[in-house]
Amino acid sequence: MKALLLSLVLVPFVALAQTPTIEISGASFRPLPVAVPAPVTQNEGAKKEAATFDATFTFDLTASGILQVLDRKSFTADPKEGMAAGTINFSRWADVGAEALVKVSLAEDAGALRGELRLFNVGTGREDLKVSKDAPGNNPSLLAHRLADALYRHFTREPSPFLSRITYVRKAGANRDVVVSDWDGGNPVSLTKGGINILPSLSQDGAQVAYTSYRKGRPDIWVQRPNGEARSLVAEGQMATGAAFSPDGKRIAYALAEGESAQIYVANADGSGAKAITDTPYGLNTSPSWSPDGKRIAFVSNRGGSPQIYVMGADGSGVTRLTFQGNYNQTPDWSPRGDLIAFTARDERNAFDLFTVHVDTRKVTRLTQDQGNNEEPAFSPNGRLVIFTSTRNGGTQLFVMTSDGNNQLPLRSEKGTLLTPDWAPLAETAQP
Amino acid sequence: MHSAVSHSLLVTRSTRMSRFVVASVVGHVVLLVAAILYARFSGGPKVDMNAQPIRATLVRLGKPRDAKLLPRKEQLPPPPKEVNAPKPAPEPAKPPPSSNAVAVPVPGVKPEPASAPKPEPVKGEREGEDRRKRLFGAFDKTAKAAPEEDPEGAEDGDPDGDSATAEGERYFGLLQAQVRRHYSVADTIPESERMHLKALVALRLGRTGEVLDVSLTKPSGNDLFDSAVVAAVRKASPFSPPPDHLRDALQKSGVNLMFNAL
Repeated sequence: MKALLLSLVLVPFVALAQTPTIEISGASFRPLPVAVPAPVTQNEGAKKEAATFDATFTFDLTASGILQVLDRKSFTADPKEGMAAGTINFSRWADVGAEALVKVSLAEDAGALRGELRLFNVGTGREDLKVSKDAPGNNPSLLAHRLADALYRHFTREPSPFLSRITYVRKAGANRDVVVSDWDGGNPVSLTKGGINILPSLSQDGAQVAYTSYRKGRPDIWVQRPNGEARSLVAEGQMATGAAFSPDGKRIAYALAEGESAQIYVANADGSGAKAITDTPYGLNTSPSWSPDGKRIAFVSNRGGSPQIYVMGADGSGVTRLTFQGNYNQTPDWSPRGDLIAFTARDERNAFDLFTVHVDTRKVTRLTQDQGNNEEPAFSPNGRLVIFTSTRNGGTQLFVMTSDGNNQLPLRSEKGTLLTPDWAPLAETAQP
Repeated sequence: MHSAVSHSLLVTRSTRMSRFVVASVVGHVVLLVAAILYARFSGGPKVDMNAQPIRATLVRLGKPRDAKLLPRKEQLPPPPKEVNAPKPAPEPAKPPPSSNAVAVPVPGVKPEPASAPKPEPVKGEREGEDRRKRLFGAFDKTAKAAPEEDPEGAEDGDPDGDSATAEGERYFGLLQAQVRRHYSVADTIPESERMHLKALVALRLGRTGEVLDVSLTKPSGNDLFDSAVVAAVRKASPFSPPPDHLRDALQKSGVNLMFNAL
């Protein structure tokens, strides 16, 4: 993009009297180097929560993909420097490479935690943003997500993923439980208590989770709110797996095994009006994922001999094969931006890695490589980030990266074997 | 019968050919002797016994990746880490040997200059680090040296060409390339805004190419972009000295730099 758009236009100096103009285009874009000193605490109550706040806030900014959070060890500024522009020695911040400076002050008052954030342009010394947010005193990470969101919105003019929610499966012994947590893995809430519960999918607003449970002996689809009761959504007496809510939350798609084959069904969100939209007598069709406009569904089918990613209309029309590289492609997730579908593929070295395929051009791009097995991608609500599972550090952990495969970081989630993450489509989802 | 005898090759005949044969034999002998003598006195080709053999290996041409396989990422070597913190001061020279050691002058042997001790790689790591620094130092040098090329006319240039104009364009081209190398803008700027971002910077240069003044004459309205373009000019400086005919103009009225984000 940069090179293509570089137009080398030299306006020749016609006369010496006229000042010549050189045109320079095609900037390279890189994360903004930002200094984020530890928050200043106004009272004891705030001091107690500062460490949790700080870890959460720093993680949000680091994982955002648009900021390069500088190492505090290099800071040379006075740690007691004030919050106001007049008291800040900006040259000290410029010396360590910072282009922006984020200062936060925390105060606790009557059980509530209040944070004030100020953003400065280090070059001009100007205060670009001043914002205050509140959260319950026992939830410093919510305050951190709110302030990080305000900062992210200031820069990108779009909601951050920091206030959204994810769901995943925690494997412990023979049990597999469905968990809902903050986007970074914080505040996990277990929905199920024992048994085998797999393939969770968050509704658009994150308020309920559909998952596959073996509690009746065979896999059925259940739906549940955090801290609520589970109710059966699809119990056909057959094997139903992998429900996915449509973006408007009005429909669900899932796979139903019938003898030798599996077909994709679409039903109303309450399970009524189910209708098969694939019909391959001896083929398997699984893992449906909706396009952001709800008009198409990506899925996995082995109708061509090996599992590959296909797309079709939400009514089953116009089936098109998208992937032609690799012979084991699965778990598609359609980006909320609409252009890409992320999927897991087993390559010729028998490693599982993540890829994206462009819906129109079918161009396949690799996101992970040579770092254990990486599976089960799920896009953030704004499509800029992807969470996935990775075995690179031993065990199976949740990771996050940008949608082009950069900045791969482990989430701050609980320890243990965590599987099949899903990200709610709405940026700001219901808090439990 | 008679005709057969006269045609026999065994019969000696005195023809004109015999003279040519004799001349030819004598000629060959002379050439041979001359060649032997030349070889004897010229000493033959010199063979350098210390020369290192040139090892050439044939590498099989890589097959293009099978179109049915999944793509692999190109493995780029990790870029050198930018060090923002001030560089540590060079290691102080080794202290002179302790007073217990007495330097005994040996007649006939010149003492090694103590001021220039040979750098001894203590650890492999440090050695690697040094080598890397040296390598990147060399890169830095070439990067800096490039714009300082003597802006002479091209050998195959047009004899009617206006060398002053060409020189000026060439100088502005260098200026542009140098600024562009440092032209990086924060990723936080929304994509929708990027195509509209434009800023005009006025730049005045001194006789040696030093920056006299950088000012934002038409800001884009986006602070991050505006500070990035000014930073690009500052980071790119100093520039190479302007050609003679531009020196005054660049000092007085300067040059405008029009930045586009995309």
